[in-house]
Amino acid sequence: MEDPQADSSISFLPHLEAKIRQTHNLARLLTKYAEQLLEEYVQQQGDPFGMPGFSPPRLSLAGLSGPSPSHAGLPLSERLRLDAAALGALPALLDAVRRHQAELNPRSPRLQRSLEEAARQARALGAAVETVLAALGSAARGPGPEHSATTALSTANSAASIFSAKVLGLQVCGLYGEWVNRTEGDLSQLVHGGVA
Amino acid sequence: MPAGRPGPAAQSARRPPRPLSSLWSPLLLCVLGVPRGGSGTHTAVISPQDPTLLIGSSLQATCSIHGDTPGATAEGLYWTLNGRRLPSELSHLLNTSTLALALANLNGSRQQSGDNLVCHARDGSILAGSCLYVGLPPEKPFNISCWSRNMKDLTCRWTPGAHGDTFLHTNYSLKYKLRWYGQDNTCEDYHTVGPHSCHIPKDLALFTPYEIWVEATNRLGSARSDVLTLDVLDVVTTDPPPDVHVSRVGGLEDQLSVRWVSPPALKDFLFQAKYQIRYRVEDSVDWKVVDDVSNQTSCRLAGLKPGTVYFVQVRCNPFGIYGSKKAGIWSEWSHPTAASTPRSERPGPGGGVCEPRGGEPSSGPVRRELKQFLGWLKKHAYCSNLSFRLYDQWRAWMQKSHKTRNQHRTRGSCPRADGARREVLPDKL
Repeated sequence: MEDPQADSSISFLPHLEAKIRQTHNLARLLTKYAEQLLEEYVQQQGDPFGMPGFSPPRLSLAGLSGPSPSHAGLPLSERLRLDAAALGALPALLDAVRRHQAELNPRSPRLQRSLEEAARQARALGAAVETVLAALGSAARGPGPEHSATTALSTANSAASIFSAKVLGLQVCGLYGEWVNRTEGDLSQLVHGGVA
Repeated sequence: MPAGRPGPAAQSARRPPRPLSSLWSPLLLCVLGVPRGGSGTHTAVISPQDPTLLIGSSLQATCSIHGDTPGATAEGLYWTLNGRRLPSELSHLLNTSTLALALANLNGSRQQSGDNLVCHARDGSILAGSCLYVGLPPEKPFNISCWSRNMKDLTCRWTPGAHGDTFLHTNYSLKYKLRWYGQDNTCEDYHTVGPHSCHIPKDLALFTPYEIWVEATNRLGSARSDVLTLDVLDVVTTDPPPDVHVSRVGGLEDQLSVRWVSPPALKDFLFQAKYQIRYRVEDSVDWKVVDDVSNQTSCRLAGLKPGTVYFVQVRCNPFGIYGSKKAGIWSEWSHPTAASTPRSERPGPGGGVCEPRGGEPSSGPVRRELKQFLGWLKKHAYCSNLSFRLYDQWRAWMQKSHKTRNQHRTRGSCPRADGARREVLPDKL
């Protein structure tokens, strides 16, 4: 007699694989959009932003940093958890950059739309990665990343300068690209390796 | 520590820029000069931070270094502005930890987010930055014009001050109020018909004048336009006439009949409205305009070329609405409607009017009568209350008789009728 549970898990696998492929495709698409966002951002800030070799000091962002060098060596499920956490923290940062660019570059509605889109896309990709993790039996760690970012309050002692705000926006756009790219890489391993 | 000296206009700027901390959520630590990393990192502060300056003015700035490595010095530091290294003769050491910069005769800012003035360490790394806003105060906006579509709304357009580009983001605000009472209102829906326009969608009074003006504001000051006073009823426009139909007039090869409907939004108010028709040959860009169509909703175009496709458009001016004495504003043209005149049955180049050769006995009295009739027609060559039914019958008869004659005629040159006047006849009288 056939085991109905085994039947349901077998029928579940194609759906999961389809979901993983779909999420991977989304990450690949967003990698392209992230590159375009960064180009558009540096163009609006003026030189030296966007010039070869421009490398301002990295500022401390509460709750988010780039993928660490040891990321690739972690187990896949842990990598995907970190990807989901970063993607969860990015929308609030991208929204903050957008609000500021509305003041700094009011005649650039396209940049503001791109930042708004990027926040939406990061949220969507993060949710998709969490769905994949849940389906694999590896739930994302709580509390939610946005909640972490909100609770980690850091305010400058003095008013932030416009230049540092431009640098911060550059960093956020860069982080968005880094994490989307990292997520695409981690998911591709899942796509090619199959659901074990 | 010496501060930069902005131009005098900057000191009198009515709207100093908001501190950016008010814009950032508490998520972010936003002070440049606090990088992550190990000890021994130099940081610096530029003063003034984000100044606003008049074009042509001077700036004195400083880059003050502080680091956790003993002996941190300003020696070897240099400045860049918008990515370009500034000549070393423009800067000098104030003391061991401060590099000063003197810029004269500043040009307008290259980008709306401000020029990037950066202080670099000897190895090129960035220590600090400041954004310069160099521009002009706004000039008085002028040339405000407004129109109301079907008395329901008001759209206004204006021209920015004489110099146009102030190099700084300039905010324009359209204000309006009822002339003798009421508070100032601010238009909210901008850029509806171009960069300097605003749309007021509702709640407008009629039969009472409004005062309308534009205020321009940027970091260096503000300016206000002259006040325009108008009654909404004096600036009404409407939709183009719908349902424009163009059709042949029986077999008449040089006429087309044009009919349309009054714009429905104002159909109860358009008894004094004026219409205009324009038409062109299919492969031409030159429109011919028929001006004096008064308030009728049909008209006949005459003197056209046979066998030719014509495009026709109609527009409406709601003149005299609610007793307004002003000229009114023409609507947009209706969508082009096309029709073709019947082909000419007569041979000859271009299909123009071929007059019969002199000496042919059968053409003599007809030709004379035609000349007389055309002479009379020239005096009455616009829409008027004349009966042309007989003329139509005469025309049809003329064409039939030409057709009969041409069957017996030898081939010869026929003058083209290019110079024939195009006249408009009422469709029904």
